Amino acid sequence: MKFNSTRYLPLVVTVGQVVIFPYYIIWLKQVSLTFTLFAWFFAAFSFAAAWGYRIYQTKKNKERSLLFMIFVGMGVVYIVIGFIKNSYEYLPYVVLPLQVILGVLQGYFRAWHSEQDTYHLHAVHHYMIVGFMMIGFSFVKIISPVVFITIFGALLCICGVWEFFRIGKLSVPKKV
Amino acid sequence: MDSITKLVKNPWFLGCLVIIFMAVVMWNIPIEKRKYGLSQGSLVTDYTGLLPEHIERVVTAENRNDLQRIVKQANENGQKISIAGLQHSQGGHTYYKNGVVLDMRTFNRILDIDEQEKTIRVEAGATWEDVQEAIQPHGLALKVTQSQSIFTIGGSLSVNAHGRDIRFGSMAETVKEITLLTPEGEIKKVNRDDSDEWMKYVFGGYGLFGVILDVRLELTDNDLYTIHTEKLKTNEYASYFNRVLKQPDTAMHYARVSVAPSSFLDEMVVINYDHTENTDHKSVLKKEEGVRISKMALDAGRKGGTLENLFWAAQKRYIASLNRKEITRNNAMRSESTFMEYTKPGRVEVLQEFFVPVDSYDEYLTDLKDIIPANDKRHDFKVHNITVRYAAKDNFTTLNYAKEDMLGLVVLIQHGLKEEDITNAESLIQSWTNLTLEHGGTYYLPYYRYQTKEQFKSSYPNWQDFQEEKLRKDPNHVFQNMFYEYYVK
Repeated sequence: MKFNSTRYLPLVVTVGQVVIFPYYIIWLKQVSLTFTLFAWFFAAFSFAAAWGYRIYQTKKNKERSLLFMIFVGMGVVYIVIGFIKNSYEYLPYVVLPLQVILGVLQGYFRAWHSEQDTYHLHAVHHYMIVGFMMIGFSFVKIISPVVFITIFGALLCICGVWEFFRIGKLSVPKKV
Repeated sequence: MDSITKLVKNPWFLGCLVIIFMAVVMWNIPIEKRKYGLSQGSLVTDYTGLLPEHIERVVTAENRNDLQRIVKQANENGQKISIAGLQHSQGGHTYYKNGVVLDMRTFNRILDIDEQEKTIRVEAGATWEDVQEAIQPHGLALKVTQSQSIFTIGGSLSVNAHGRDIRFGSMAETVKEITLLTPEGEIKKVNRDDSDEWMKYVFGGYGLFGVILDVRLELTDNDLYTIHTEKLKTNEYASYFNRVLKQPDTAMHYARVSVAPSSFLDEMVVINYDHTENTDHKSVLKKEEGVRISKMALDAGRKGGTLENLFWAAQKRYIASLNRKEITRNNAMRSESTFMEYTKPGRVEVLQEFFVPVDSYDEYLTDLKDIIPANDKRHDFKVHNITVRYAAKDNFTTLNYAKEDMLGLVVLIQHGLKEEDITNAESLIQSWTNLTLEHGGTYYLPYYRYQTKEQFKSSYPNWQDFQEEKLRKDPNHVFQNMFYEYYVK
């Protein structure tokens, strides 16, 4: 069981991020209203992800990666997005910091994941799983993208709690 | 070199870049986010997005001969034509079901400025801003224009707009001559002495009597004014304004009425622009300032209740801060507008304007309190702003809203788009219109048609003359729009 959680938790998060991406894009486009703003939001996310990646790369004590906080952090952002009303006048001003937080956390997670033994195996698996899941989702009528975003946020929080309890009991095998 | 590499490798270097980028994006999040009008997809709307309609095509106006050919063809093949500028009218005046829309925005050249005569000849698709930019270096200014310079000349004349000037009469009175493309496809010069009385129907004719191609406008000096502001009780305003009218020193004037719950329709602030006997040839035209802060303050006021009280207090403080400042005539005629942008799915913000005789003003506002709730925080129908301006008696145009000297109350209203919300808004605005009619007033026609046809006929007793002349001058009904179909046809 310990082996499975170590092996599958990053895969669940990676697959989830890719699967939720189309729904997230729909939501972001709705709140951006113009393509210019939409592109700026994505640029902010991308720069922030680079920052997050670099934070992990330069981290000295990589054994204490606080991954549970990263999962919970991402989960909370997605849940917040789920609860924001689209009619909120200052929405772009709220979305921008959320994009930056999400970018930092995802960049950090990606940097951590890339240093794990399972990373390359996960890469192949996640492409396959995402492909099948998206075919499945194509038959699901979208009521609102925020429903899926909120569910994914909750799933990430559960992953975070799981990771929290796992800490100290198990260490992920590192690359040699 | 090493220290630079070390700096770049530090994660906080990227962090700082992200924070700087975030600040830049935050500052540049556009205020004007909506697309409206002809830039929409398959359906055309005007500024409010209400009354979406399918049209056949949009024709960009490029030269007079093309426009003439289109109009002549329409007479032959039964096509319907509407005329659009910047589409700030709100009642479907610029398009018609399955019709052709002439997009006049590219028809915007300044043709001639006569410094001696103090006139400008300009194509109708030009904006008032275009005109101001052209005449400013000559030390000249407009006689009458709207409070903002974002409208086209043709559009403003088609609604016979008015503004803050209290000395030069209606906008129509400042036009010396126009070049008109008539409904039968003839291009002719028209002035006030024209025996066919074209101007009488074209101004305030909502694009139903042909295409205004160009206009010769009367100008005046770009005088320098001192701003004078004052707080008043609503019941003091009519007598105050009558005194202002008698003082030749005051060139322009407008006022705001409180719509905040704590002082609803009881308090006012007035703004006068008084002559200094100086003209200004050097000042540049002001740009929009403080848009983001103004928008945030207005958005807070839009919440109603306590926030609306705070917004009114902020407005009073801001207006008081303008006291004794100097401003040129051109700059006084170009107020900010972008901060009023409102984008909220499922809701719409519209304008209405009601005119009442100056002497009926106090009683009218007292009676209005019985129709509109002071605190609309929990109501769907919300009133955000009332600006009061003077509309001088107009004996010239047919659909004239000022049969005597009137005060125009420009009202900014917000309501939902559900069927029951629109019905509720219609009911309230119809009650408001009835009250206006009882006080000898009228309502303005460039806005969404909440009113009934009976209210239109009562407000505009010359409507039959307008209808008959339309049939005479446009027998094939070439120029059509949603406004005409609802009210007149």
